[in-house]
Amino acid sequence: MAIVKMNEFSLFAFDSSKEDLLHELQKFEYVHFTNLGVDETLSELGLKNVKMPEELMEIDDDIGRVGSGIKILSKFHDKPTGIKAMKEGVSTYTFDELEKEALSIDYNETLDGVEELWGRMESLKHEKDKAKTRLLELKPWKSIDLPITDINGINRAEIFTGTVPKKLRDRLDEEMTGFEKTYYQVVEEDKDNLYLVAISYGDEVKKAIDSLRNTSFSRIKIQGEEKPAQEMEKINERIGELNSQMEEVEKELRTMTSRIASLELVYDYLSNKKLRTAAAENFVSTDNVDVIKGYIPSDKAKEFETKVKERLDNIYYMEMKEAEKESDDTPILLKNSKFAKAFESLTGMYAMPKYSEVDPTPLLAPFYLAFFGMMAADVGYGLIMLMGTLYVLKKFNLKENTKLFVKFFYYLSFSVIIWGFLYGSLFGGIIPLPGLFEPAEDYNSLLILSIIFGLIHIYFALGIKAYVLVQNGKTKDALFDVGLWYLALTGAIVYLLNIVMTLPEIVKTISFIVMIAGMVGIVLTGGRDAEGMVGKIGGGIYSLYGISGYVGDFVSYSRLMALGLAGGFIAGAVNMMAGMVAGSGVLGFIGAIVIFIFGQTFNLGLTLLGAYVHAIRLIFVEFFGKFYEGGGKRFNELRSKPKYINLK
Amino acid sequence: MTFTEFIVSYGGVFFAGLGIAVAVFLSGIGSAIGIGIVGQAASGLIIEEPEKFGRSLVLQLLPGTQGLYGFVIGLLVLGQLDAGMTLAHGMYLLAACMPIGFVGWQSAIAQGKVAASGISILAKNEEHSTKGIIYSVMVETYALLAFVISLILVNAVSF
Repeated sequence: MAIVKMNEFSLFAFDSSKEDLLHELQKFEYVHFTNLGVDETLSELGLKNVKMPEELMEIDDDIGRVGSGIKILSKFHDKPTGIKAMKEGVSTYTFDELEKEALSIDYNETLDGVEELWGRMESLKHEKDKAKTRLLELKPWKSIDLPITDINGINRAEIFTGTVPKKLRDRLDEEMTGFEKTYYQVVEEDKDNLYLVAISYGDEVKKAIDSLRNTSFSRIKIQGEEKPAQEMEKINERIGELNSQMEEVEKELRTMTSRIASLELVYDYLSNKKLRTAAAENFVSTDNVDVIKGYIPSDKAKEFETKVKERLDNIYYMEMKEAEKESDDTPILLKNSKFAKAFESLTGMYAMPKYSEVDPTPLLAPFYLAFFGMMAADVGYGLIMLMGTLYVLKKFNLKENTKLFVKFFYYLSFSVIIWGFLYGSLFGGIIPLPGLFEPAEDYNSLLILSIIFGLIHIYFALGIKAYVLVQNGKTKDALFDVGLWYLALTGAIVYLLNIVMTLPEIVKTISFIVMIAGMVGIVLTGGRDAEGMVGKIGGGIYSLYGISGYVGDFVSYSRLMALGLAGGFIAGAVNMMAGMVAGSGVLGFIGAIVIFIFGQTFNLGLTLLGAYVHAIRLIFVEFFGKFYEGGGKRFNELRSKPKYINLK
Repeated sequence: MTFTEFIVSYGGVFFAGLGIAVAVFLSGIGSAIGIGIVGQAASGLIIEEPEKFGRSLVLQLLPGTQGLYGFVIGLLVLGQLDAGMTLAHGMYLLAACMPIGFVGWQSAIAQGKVAASGISILAKNEEHSTKGIIYSVMVETYALLAFVISLILVNAVSF
């Protein structure tokens, strides 16, 4: 339940065996390599960074091809969607199974087929589009009962075909009067244009051209040979042919969709192969020998050593030692109980701990649970969460991460139910429950309760700070930075309590003395790292000024009460609205149910979202702010995250 | 009856009503503007990546809570409305509605802007989009504090 202990290893092995070694280590999974390529002292010694550009490029090309193959086939695959798909979910493989399976698949053959079919499909589509454009071009001239070759090829007369803007129709009639050897006809019109055929003979041609130009005539040359109507018929026939050909290609592609699953396997296999190959770029080498450095979990050190030994036939040199506590390079792997594991995503969202810190996950989990429940606080909402998450966990086959996230809400649902009972709230009070609090009236006690939670939370955080300091041998710092603050805060709080309630005089005096002692201590020790007397005193006063931050922190916990109340009131308002319409007959009753379901669902979403993020805020700002630094590197297992399967 | 007498006799319920209006409309306007800002940013994202709709909707919802806080305060004041309430009572309720009205209004707009930049986190680095949500929620703290004060004020003094 904490940060996993690490061993640091340095390994010298022959360059020729690195692929074998990496392959073995990928099966082993728990290895994190240090990038030695950036270490300048090594490059000054003449060690070269290992580069694998060709291999990586080749794998990348393959991954790209497989990916687009999957994409193409998915277009023709009627996949089960929604709940059914999630129920089927993803299959689980071990690494060996994945490799064996993936290597037995001749994906190149499949991909060649898919690419060929898809190319044919594309060119058919292209031709169809072109034919459709031709149809559109010809459509206006359909009524001309003359082969197109004749229109374009007539000798002694001139035939004009083209468009005139519709709004210039009057102008056209005007311009085209007074001709003797010129005839024109509008054969078709659409929204904007008139389609015009004009024929002119001899000396009038020039004049006709001028007149037409005055009406913004734009000439269109009709393409084709036969009569427009016949031409169109031919094109339509061709489109029909194309359609049936496309259907055939589609049918073939559909039969190939059965291979999607195997392509997906290949994809995940290749991603792992890429990661493994890229891992070699962390090494440096002489001409023949690779220098490899990295980390492994201490409890797996033996296993690691035997694997390396087996694979390298005893020809290697390795040094191993426990990772240094203060080193920032040590990668962080968290290991938690089943319950706390669900909360690891919160820690990861903020920052991984440093190797010298504690893993805050199990420490934040109970608080997060309590806070979330207090802000959502409704028996009905909690039951919906519980049943929903239980159903999903039991019936669905989920990826590891998604499963953890659902589990997270499964745990939270209990807290929501318990707080719901405390608040006496079921869907905002649709059925009255006897609760410990009546939120609308007891908001003051809830406010105090929230602040008390804050107090516990912050004292706990300070306690962890002290624990970590003592662990790292800084007992004095723990005393000054935590002990004195405990004194000052406790003294101040008890002293301030005198304002709202009467306490014995002796308590007042003692609390005052404790507070002052704590504060003086903080002023004296807060700036102990600073240079010079002025710096020390200034630093001390500045430290004491930090007490204003604590005031802000405590106030911040009022959100526990506020969000709980707001959610409850909105749920109540929904019920009120539903109640208003419920009285008026059957229709009113149906309306009330609709309002109730819609309104409560909306409020459920909003409440959960609010509780989720505001509880995170209390953890990140108020809690982590006291003791947690973070900024450790994540331990990168030598496995890529599979996209389509679960990898064990 | 002079105007002063009229105000004294009937002003209470008027000012209390005005309080409800202030709580609801100011915070409502703020939330509407905030949600609008995020909605515009989100629409741009959905053109390219429609599968991120769900997550963008969460970001868009965030500035909506202020309007709800105002609504809750409005409801609470509504419960105290009475045609015969004194002028002092009515004006007190108006004052009680002010914090959530004003803070809700401006904080929702500010929160909307932060959430809109959260959309760009969602666009470029989906893994970390929850952090955009948290940034945006930092702003909401102040609306929550105003809500707490309004809530206490509404119930604190009995006339």
